[in-house]
Amino acid sequence: MREAVTTRNLSYSYPDGTVALSNINITIHEGERVAIVGPNGAGKTTLLLHLNGVLESTDGEVKIFGKNVNEAERSEIIRSVGVVFQDPDDQLFMPTIFDDVAFGPMNLELDEDEVRRRVKNALDRLGLTGYEERCSHHLSYGEKKRASLAAVISMEPRILVLDEPTANLDPKSRTELIGIINELNREGVTIIVTTHDINAVPQLVDRVYVLNRTIIREGTIREIFSDAPLLRENHLEVPEVFKLFEMLKCFGYNCEELPLSIDEAIKDLTETIGTNGGHIHLHIHEHTHEEMEKVKHKYRYDHH
Amino acid sequence: MLDHPWIDRFASLDSPIHRFDPRAKAITFLFLIFSIVLLSAVKLALVGLLTSIFFLALSRLPLRFALRHIKWVSLFIIPFFIVMPFTVEGSEIYGVHGLKVTYEGVEYGALIALRALSAVILVLPMIATTRFEEMMKALERLRVPSIMVQMLIFTYHYIFVFGEEWERMWRAIESRGFRLRTTLYALRTLGRAMGMLFVKSYERSERVYYAMRSRGYTGRQRTLAEFNLKRSDLVLSTLIISIGVILHIIQMEVM
Repeated sequence: MREAVTTRNLSYSYPDGTVALSNINITIHEGERVAIVGPNGAGKTTLLLHLNGVLESTDGEVKIFGKNVNEAERSEIIRSVGVVFQDPDDQLFMPTIFDDVAFGPMNLELDEDEVRRRVKNALDRLGLTGYEERCSHHLSYGEKKRASLAAVISMEPRILVLDEPTANLDPKSRTELIGIINELNREGVTIIVTTHDINAVPQLVDRVYVLNRTIIREGTIREIFSDAPLLRENHLEVPEVFKLFEMLKCFGYNCEELPLSIDEAIKDLTETIGTNGGHIHLHIHEHTHEEMEKVKHKYRYDHH
Repeated sequence: MLDHPWIDRFASLDSPIHRFDPRAKAITFLFLIFSIVLLSAVKLALVGLLTSIFFLALSRLPLRFALRHIKWVSLFIIPFFIVMPFTVEGSEIYGVHGLKVTYEGVEYGALIALRALSAVILVLPMIATTRFEEMMKALERLRVPSIMVQMLIFTYHYIFVFGEEWERMWRAIESRGFRLRTTLYALRTLGRAMGMLFVKSYERSERVYYAMRSRGYTGRQRTLAEFNLKRSDLVLSTLIISIGVILHIIQMEVM
């Protein structure tokens, strides 16, 4: 697999001298789905803005498909890396949705037919057909969010970077958006997201970087979620299903790998029931209470 | 929800003016506005006003909508009409306490008021009958400098965004018990809130700029649009230009 995104010793300080990023080394391969998680103010957005050269590092380098972002032709980087901002109001500014979605392709100096084709595709894909002449400031938040994704995928980037894609969305819009992101990934688009939506992580990505000014840890979702002290130090959490099955273990439920999502939970339950002759057995044994307190304590932020 | 000051709220109605090509509309109406504004005879200016009213009627824009926009501009016109009769030298028609109203003054005041009112009325069929973005594209096709068109687009868009931002802030302020009174404290709070809006706007502008650069913005901007001149466009254009020209020919004959 080709390396899609590579950063080497990437550091960045704000003009006032505050260090935002320090010594970031990440490697993301083509077609991967990766999340960058970490506490508020960890530098997640700042890191994303480096990936397409909008912010230039004070130190270190960023490579996209092996090309140094600061040295390569801007349009080439823009073509490869699409960034969807957290607040759609920052991203949509043209008088109509059509113009907004056409804005990127126009800047790539594509010919008119190609621009129209791409706008149509992008709008179709996000269920925004018929919205061409609407203006963004009259849309709902969910629609705006989809429009801002359309405005980026119309550039047909190989790498899609999304800052908090599921934030502030209602459950239906959230599920739909996750679906679209995964569909793009199946077509080969590399996905990089930042998120606080811990329940979305198993649905969105396979691998996680924990960022807190610098890269604290890298691993599969399971590796990261299994490291309670790491989670606590970086203000993170595990999905509710994960916690529930950890509780079930205290009642004697036998499960080797804690499920990360409802789907995995169903699979795990079905298998366990299957191997146990059609039922599962839970009971309270002498350590149940003690173990449960431990698990509860592990994930609690509200007492010290 | 903010009561959006949509200037193009009635752009989807149907009338000869609505069907008029936006490029031709912009040019011919501007031409007519200038020719009326440059008239120097009151009678002709009156004809100009009637012409404007004719085009407003032709555009089928609701009268209430038109009056609402004309009302505000009138506030600037009326003072001229009041002040001029007293300040322009000439033959007195009425005198009170040393203040004299002159015939020339009344005439000059009327002339200014008529011309301004005509111009304001004509702006409505020119702008309010075209969707905003179409007018912007028309301007772009007419080779108005891109930077000016972009500024108009941004201004238009962010009026709504900032309006809503301000509304949110104001609600938050009011829901903590603040009432606007004419006390120093209230004014100071208002000032601070406005200052905050500026800071927020500045920060937003930075994020918007990043977002634009992320999509390859380099300062130039192109949009897609199709405009085709029809025969009816040529007829209407000729009519409007002729009115402007004829008004000035008559003026030369009279003077």
